[in-house]
Amino acid sequence: MVSTTAQQSAAGGDSSAAGRPGPPEDVALRVAGLNKSFGSVQVLKDASLTVRSGTVHALLGGNGSGKSTTIKILAGVYQADSGDLDVRGESYDLDGYTPATAEKAGLRFVHQDLGLFDDLSIEENFALDAGYPRNAAGGIDWKRLRRRVAELISAYEIQGGPRTPVNRLRPADRTLVAIARALQDDESGNCVVVLDEPTASLGKKESEELLGHVRRRADAGQTFVIVSHRMQEVLSVAQDFTIFRDGVVVGELVDAEPTEDEIVAIMAGRAVAALRPTGSISHATAEPVLEFRDVAGGALAGVDLTVHRGEIVGVAGLAGSGRSTLLSMAFGAVRPTSGEMRLSGAPFAPRTIEAAMKAGVALVPEDRAHEAAFPDLTTDQNLSMSVLRQLWHGGLIRRRESRANAERLIRKFGVKVAGPEAPFSSMSGGNQQKIVIARWLQRDPKVILLDEPTQGVDVMSRADIYGVVRDAAAETGACVLIASSDLTELHALCDRIVVLGGGRVSQEVAAGEVSVDDLTALVLKAPQSQKYTEQYTEGSPA
Amino acid sequence: MTDTSQAHSPSAPAEPTPPTPTRRAASSAFNGASVVRFLEAYALVLITIAVAIFFSVAHPASVAFPTINNFNVVLGNNAVVLLIALAALFPLVSGFFDFSLGSTAVLSSVLCAGLQAKSGLPLIVAIIIPLLVSAVIGLLNGLFVTAFKMSPFVTTLGMATLLSGITIWYCNGRTFVLDGSSALISFGSSRWFNLPAVFFVVLLVAVVVWYFFRHTPYGRSLYAIGSNATSARLVGVPVDRNVWTAFVVSALIAGFAGILQLGRQGSATAVDGGSLLFPALAAVFLGATAIVPGFFNVVGTVVSAIFVSIAVSGLTLMGASGWATNVFNGAALLVAVGLSTYLGRRKLRGKG
Repeated sequence: MVSTTAQQSAAGGDSSAAGRPGPPEDVALRVAGLNKSFGSVQVLKDASLTVRSGTVHALLGGNGSGKSTTIKILAGVYQADSGDLDVRGESYDLDGYTPATAEKAGLRFVHQDLGLFDDLSIEENFALDAGYPRNAAGGIDWKRLRRRVAELISAYEIQGGPRTPVNRLRPADRTLVAIARALQDDESGNCVVVLDEPTASLGKKESEELLGHVRRRADAGQTFVIVSHRMQEVLSVAQDFTIFRDGVVVGELVDAEPTEDEIVAIMAGRAVAALRPTGSISHATAEPVLEFRDVAGGALAGVDLTVHRGEIVGVAGLAGSGRSTLLSMAFGAVRPTSGEMRLSGAPFAPRTIEAAMKAGVALVPEDRAHEAAFPDLTTDQNLSMSVLRQLWHGGLIRRRESRANAERLIRKFGVKVAGPEAPFSSMSGGNQQKIVIARWLQRDPKVILLDEPTQGVDVMSRADIYGVVRDAAAETGACVLIASSDLTELHALCDRIVVLGGGRVSQEVAAGEVSVDDLTALVLKAPQSQKYTEQYTEGSPA
Repeated sequence: MTDTSQAHSPSAPAEPTPPTPTRRAASSAFNGASVVRFLEAYALVLITIAVAIFFSVAHPASVAFPTINNFNVVLGNNAVVLLIALAALFPLVSGFFDFSLGSTAVLSSVLCAGLQAKSGLPLIVAIIIPLLVSAVIGLLNGLFVTAFKMSPFVTTLGMATLLSGITIWYCNGRTFVLDGSSALISFGSSRWFNLPAVFFVVLLVAVVVWYFFRHTPYGRSLYAIGSNATSARLVGVPVDRNVWTAFVVSALIAGFAGILQLGRQGSATAVDGGSLLFPALAAVFLGATAIVPGFFNVVGTVVSAIFVSIAVSGLTLMGASGWATNVFNGAALLVAVGLSTYLGRRKLRGKG
């Protein structure tokens, strides 16, 4: 069984040791009776939120549960239909509430995309937000700016100098820069910082580092509200929880240490079984399908791995361990520098992605927005892109066939979308990911490569996706190779997990043999690849 | 409105999607939304018809406007611009700009005339060589943009300037006049079914291009590349090869347009390529607001080219002089880009 409980109490120990919550009446932010409708649909019904000063407060809920709407109302992006807002005891009228009001009230927002100027230095990023200090002649007082920024950098333990361009920073530091920038004028420490999916683009280790910083700032009295799909991280850092479902607050936990299962049960209104190992016999056979023999290239220094028909194999490893590279090699996107791959017993060296696809390989890439989405095209077009040639006969693209096919896939994968003609971008993240997975599974691939298949996907869609992957392995006998930084995911889904370290398979464990905690320990103990730093900068989003 | 509340029913376990207008708009076929969609797609067609009717009755244009002669002039003069617009679709759909198409057409036109008038080559050779040169220009543009990853905007601007320089050097101040008995000229002025033959040729090209974009995997892949090139690569689209091909096909069509232009005018000299390119771009962008709103498309391009030429002809006949073309083209381009940006944004917000 998963020992989420054990993990939780360990994490909880963290926060309670840190917990120095102010007196109960010390409320930083209070929202009550919040209502919001879009057209005829009410998305928030009498929602409330109480954030205690100096705490990390998590907002949880599936996509469309109302937590994002709440945040957008607080940010002044949406207008509430009704409701009361108090910040530090001062009440604000939600009628005519704008981003400027939010700023004045002391609410600061750090969004998932951070909104940094990547090419510019840290100091310019600060100055562009708060204005450049001027000297007597009216020019920019660079010295003063640099001194102030240097102070902030050391206060936030950011690894870089005032003049380091943001794109040279590690991802966790970039997020810290965004947080520090949002708080640069907050001398009193009274501001409430809302972090929207702060760790979505970070690996496990960077996430932990970032959340460690957040934890320490909170201990020093800063107030945080955090929104994240990554349940474990939220549990490890937050003290208070507000849980939304269908626009209603269904749970408020104060200074609590809930388990992941408890939270998910509240979020879903039911127990979600698919998120745990099925415990059933795997469908793996002894028939090897995809083999890596001493494969090297990038961070990989000689990987030996065999994936069998019907088997689900997880690839774990730190960021930069070459997880994605391994998948890209089997997909013909990256060529190994040495070693051999075999597919169904025959040597396999795809020169192009097209060739790999023809051989029956499918890859769901890591970064949905940049590597898989055609945002402005319709759902139908997004789905059909991988089967255009099959839809093309008699010199015509069979549109009706394509549409019928799209409707079938939307039903089969339980995608919430207006219809095949709705643009891809109109869907929520979880549904977009289902479409991307459906795009590939409709080809009945022999080999399914999944790179971070549930990144930025809410917990309920995640359960659906796990089900889909298990079915694919069971029904079509596909072999599945999953690279993920989410070890709970690998633990829940895989028959077997390999840990990459030092460019090789450093550990291999069967499902049910280890707990998530053990797995985490294995990954952290794995030797680091020598090319770690190099890979790391390459792999990080520009 | 339709029942969106079902998304919130307890039986739908996963994520009730936030209700965007899309849900309501798309889930019912016979309500206001579908009327809006129809208007969005066919507004330009209706406006074109309205403008044609207006000029047919409004004095003083009504005397000359609705005549077959005027129709001939309008269609004949604008066939070449339409052809360049069709050429421009290829890079634009794939997300690239090609500024050199106008200069390519002018060079092709001058070369075709010069090879006959100056070098005395037979017509067929004088047609093939400019077409080959055009293909090479496309090949170079494609090379710079795909293999060297140069900015298409600057690359093709440089190419345009370079080509116009070469054209001026080749002409050396002269205007090449074709022999009046040339087959090219008689074709350029001939009529089929009482309409300019050139127009039918362009229409034929339009049909082929339409088929290309709508009914071949290649054409669909260009839309995919235009939407997200990385995603396209990762579904097995040979992105570089297809973009490269798009530049070559585009330049070839532009070269062909230059030769038709020569057939219409009977002579060629080093004119500014922009005078051909900019009206063409206006047609493409205006076309992106019609038929398949938010996307560059062939039928929309044809409709908007006809719309612009009808409007300009009508204005001219009402007494507006040389400025009418530019003012109208410019205004139409601004309105068109504004509209398609708005429509595109709406699409991205999921309100299409």
